[in-house]
Amino acid sequence: MKKYYFDNCKTTQPAPEVVDAMLPYLGEKFIFPANFVLGGSTAAEELETFKRTVADSIGAQPSEIHFTSSGTAANNIAIKGFLSENAKNGTHIIVSVIDYPDLLTNAAFFEKSGFEVTYLQSDDQGLIDLEQLKGSIRKDTIMMMTTFVNHTVGSIQPIKEIREILDTADHKVALHVDAGQAYGKLPIDVNELGIDLMSISAHKIHGPQGVGALFQKKGIVVGPVIHGINRIDNHQTGGISMANIAGFAKAVELTFSDLDKTISQLKELSSYLMEKIETTIPYYMLNGPKGKNRAPHNVNYSFDFIEGEAIMLMLDIAGISVATGSACASQGLKANYILMAMGRNHEQSHSSMKFTLSRYNTKEEIDYTVEKLAEIVKELRRRSPLYNGEK
Amino acid sequence: MQYSQKVLDHFMKPHNVGKIEKPDAEATEGSPACGDQVSIFMKVDPKSHVIKDIKFQSYGCASNIATGSIITDMAMGKTLEEAKDISWKEAAEELDGLPPVKMHCSVLAVDTLRKAIKDYEIKHNLSEADVFSKETIVEELKKVIYPKVGEDIVTLKMVKYVGFEDGIAIIDLEIPKFDKYRENVAEEVQEHLEQYPEIKEVKITM
Repeated sequence: MKKYYFDNCKTTQPAPEVVDAMLPYLGEKFIFPANFVLGGSTAAEELETFKRTVADSIGAQPSEIHFTSSGTAANNIAIKGFLSENAKNGTHIIVSVIDYPDLLTNAAFFEKSGFEVTYLQSDDQGLIDLEQLKGSIRKDTIMMMTTFVNHTVGSIQPIKEIREILDTADHKVALHVDAGQAYGKLPIDVNELGIDLMSISAHKIHGPQGVGALFQKKGIVVGPVIHGINRIDNHQTGGISMANIAGFAKAVELTFSDLDKTISQLKELSSYLMEKIETTIPYYMLNGPKGKNRAPHNVNYSFDFIEGEAIMLMLDIAGISVATGSACASQGLKANYILMAMGRNHEQSHSSMKFTLSRYNTKEEIDYTVEKLAEIVKELRRRSPLYNGEK
Repeated sequence: MQYSQKVLDHFMKPHNVGKIEKPDAEATEGSPACGDQVSIFMKVDPKSHVIKDIKFQSYGCASNIATGSIITDMAMGKTLEEAKDISWKEAAEELDGLPPVKMHCSVLAVDTLRKAIKDYEIKHNLSEADVFSKETIVEELKKVIYPKVGEDIVTLKMVKYVGFEDGIAIIDLEIPKFDKYRENVAEEVQEHLEQYPEIKEVKITM
């Protein structure tokens, strides 16, 4: 059966070119980077090239790029390494209630060990409260963390404005950005945006799983988090995978060789999907912003009177992979915390369906998907005690 | 987590879906906020008390729909006394099992069926409405399933204390601190007890 994959926020299919780029490192090119010895110095040169590729994609220097074993590892190294090193300057940090779990669980961890955390609220579009941010900066605030593109509703946080607000403080407030869902979906220039630390991940842009990168601006000090031997990186110590790094660099090349094209392709697909849903299925509600504040690959709707896990499972049986915010499909049986923070009720959260697109999706796939979705929604509404057969 | 083929069959093509106009008995349990709600409608033979027709509606996940389907299949043609005895474990077994995290769906379906039967009995003076007591609270807590193992919290001895005084229900639960279902279990206890008008407040300690 043909598979229709619309869960690219979770992970993406590796590009065939990426797999090819990895293969030599799983065979004869197994040697770690090192100086003076032949095999080692070739690897060292190649590692430098891979760093440059990633650095160029965000306007950074190669020396500012650290390869890590995942986006989550990059977040942990950035947050734990920065806060432990800079706690002498203050122990107050800022995050928002709709941030990625990596940021929220780290904030909770530091809260337990004596830091104070301000949690910014979200509006009904999934954008953080900048007025609240202005009032939250204190003498002892040392860092703000934010998720560039929200992983549930695709809202794009205004990083430049956030930086400007942080700069009104009479001392340096570092800005850490989780760009997992933003990288490859919109142009990012770390200098222009004033980002100090940023995490990205390969498998969200058709690269391999198990590799990410941390951008650490020159001058920002991050202490050691993972203690051990420096094989490839002084932060992600130990033997991380050159094959994964090679695959990552290839994925970056493919995505960024024509980023405008990549973005407009995604925009066209998501606009098509949204229009199809809105003209085919009654009683829907778009979750997240419409237009320029929304990432081009994210589509998220709630469908009244029915529950999301049932929709997801029926779509799955039809070969279509999507995600839902329903408590029934979640790990802790809880309604999606982002939708709840945006003011949606339990019912709207339970019935939310998230479609995240990639450049490999087609309009034909979308046609089939919406046709199936419409049938499923109709059938589940027929079974629902909440639906009175409205037209 | 995998559903059995039988769960998928009943989910994709559920039996007895719909509403009965002018039913002899009906009941609705759960709520959209909890993410699952079931309504059951019955026609009952007044002499033999055999369930002649039974239908259900479901707002909920796949296992919610499948348990609604199986429970109505199981009750059809039984007397009220027989149908009352169907347990949530039997309903789950009839579906070739449910994942532990979905066991509460079976409890909800059985509970709705029993409420519908009670509705009939009260309407026909066959029984009286239950008198509320501390025992009612304990019975209600037996409907709260610990999702990790698919067993109720009373059987699992996770309920350390139950108190009821001046309209305040006091429940002491023992759940490991970093258990991912900690909040879920507390919410479930809250929701189960809130439906009783006799309970003005639920106090949960963990």
